[in-house]
Amino acid sequence: MRAIRAIAVNTFREALRDRILYLFLGFSIALLASSKLFGILTVGEQTKIIMDMGLAGIQFFVMLIAVMMSVLLVSREVDSKTVYYILAKPVRRWQFLIGKYFGLLSIVLVNLVLMTAVLLLFVGLYGGGFEPRLLLATGFIGVEMAVLVAFAILFSVLTKPILGSVFTLAIFVVGHVSEDLWLLTRHLPGSVGKTLVSVLYYAIPNLERFNFKTEVVHQLPVPMAVLSWALLYGGVFAALVLMLACWRFEGKDLQ
Amino acid sequence: MKRVVVSLVIVVSLLSISVVAEKALQGIEREDPLGRKLLYLPSAEMLELTSLGNEGLVADLLYLWSIQYYSKYQPHERFLYLETVYELITDLDPLYHDAYRVGALIMQLSTVDEEGQKQAVIRLFDKALRNMPADYEIAESAGWDMFIRYRDKTEGIRYFKAAVEIPGSPMRLRRFLAAWSEDEQGWTLEDAISYWTDVRDSSEDAYHRAVSERQIYRLIASRDEAVLDPVLQNWKLWRGRCPDDWQEVVDSGLLSQIPVDYFGRTYSIRSESCSAMGGDEVRFD
Repeated sequence: MRAIRAIAVNTFREALRDRILYLFLGFSIALLASSKLFGILTVGEQTKIIMDMGLAGIQFFVMLIAVMMSVLLVSREVDSKTVYYILAKPVRRWQFLIGKYFGLLSIVLVNLVLMTAVLLLFVGLYGGGFEPRLLLATGFIGVEMAVLVAFAILFSVLTKPILGSVFTLAIFVVGHVSEDLWLLTRHLPGSVGKTLVSVLYYAIPNLERFNFKTEVVHQLPVPMAVLSWALLYGGVFAALVLMLACWRFEGKDLQ
Repeated sequence: MKRVVVSLVIVVSLLSISVVAEKALQGIEREDPLGRKLLYLPSAEMLELTSLGNEGLVADLLYLWSIQYYSKYQPHERFLYLETVYELITDLDPLYHDAYRVGALIMQLSTVDEEGQKQAVIRLFDKALRNMPADYEIAESAGWDMFIRYRDKTEGIRYFKAAVEIPGSPMRLRRFLAAWSEDEQGWTLEDAISYWTDVRDSSEDAYHRAVSERQIYRLIASRDEAVLDPVLQNWKLWRGRCPDDWQEVVDSGLLSQIPVDYFGRTYSIRSESCSAMGGDEVRFD
């Protein structure tokens, strides 16, 4: 546990030193500021547009951070051979990977919290008052990122950084449209095709399960059971993918 | 130093050329077939798919674009795809309150094929009511739009009826509904009295109760006048003059007692026309 924590803290510090994080943060703040511009162009309530823009912006920017940083930070350790120094200490390979995961997830979540604070401020300033339900939407963006970072770690172990980024991005895209895969099974003739698509559907995370933006923006009720199952689904999926990554990393030739 | 200056001059020159080129392009008229931008508008399903869970944002962007697009002066044909655009926006975000109201407002600007646009407005508002059955403001807007823009009280009444059935809708809607229904739907005095009594009994504040009472007073006075005026005319035919007060009429046996209004006050007699006076002509607090 101490080894995981030490690697996580170190990864967090390393990511903090990376200027790319500040760039993304600046971009997100600029995006939220542009909400004001869209607010001027609209007729009616500005708050809805600011919330929509802000939540989509937050999701997009933390996704970029998750995709790029996750893949870069692991491969960097391997490329620069620093991984040998770490693994020469009493640190198991799986501990190294789990530590990396939590370090990266922390930096993503810190950004998420900062961006959420900015969004809350904007919504408050432009007439929406304090909107605590926004925390629900951004909280589940955090859960979505936990799954995505796990995939990024898996791909960083399996392949090269650029390919890893592309694959993680693909998981993000496909994860948001996987509902349609499920709908596709209704139209497929024969049971083989249906089974294949069903397997594919369950193998890819349905990231829409963590999407509560509409409910938050329109003040719709969200059943506690939905939140609980979504949380469980995200946690289990991230754990599963991380296990696969650890298993692959254990047998990986780092030469 | 010299290299820096040369580089700077080159950068500034290139920037200037690009600005000049952009200015020149702005000044050249190009073929711009009407509705070109709208012809390739994707379906709601496609936009939903590509929005990656941000349908609300896509609806916002389309909504903002539509406001800018329809704000500019353009020929009447600009309304060609208007319903499609707002159908798309409200498919992406079925709870987009402002989009329904603003979409209907833009549709009402059309002076060509008014009946067609009116039907489009009705379809948009009906969709809004299906998607937001608890939103009385939409039904109220629809009612006012039908009444003010199209002078269609029948549709207006339909929307106001829908609005008053929504819990939390303000009492003023019931008042307007009653006023329009009296005119449009051929209500009898008894229908109107019954409706206003119901409004009074369900009012939660003094203001609306007072307004309802005033309406009830007016209606009962109209009903009483319809009975009392012939009595006064008979009395006048018999005596050759108008009675000075109701006691004379009672004494003659034409009435069993002095007639009183809704509040128990005696009606006046208008001497010049020899008729009972009540209703709107009597003020009360």
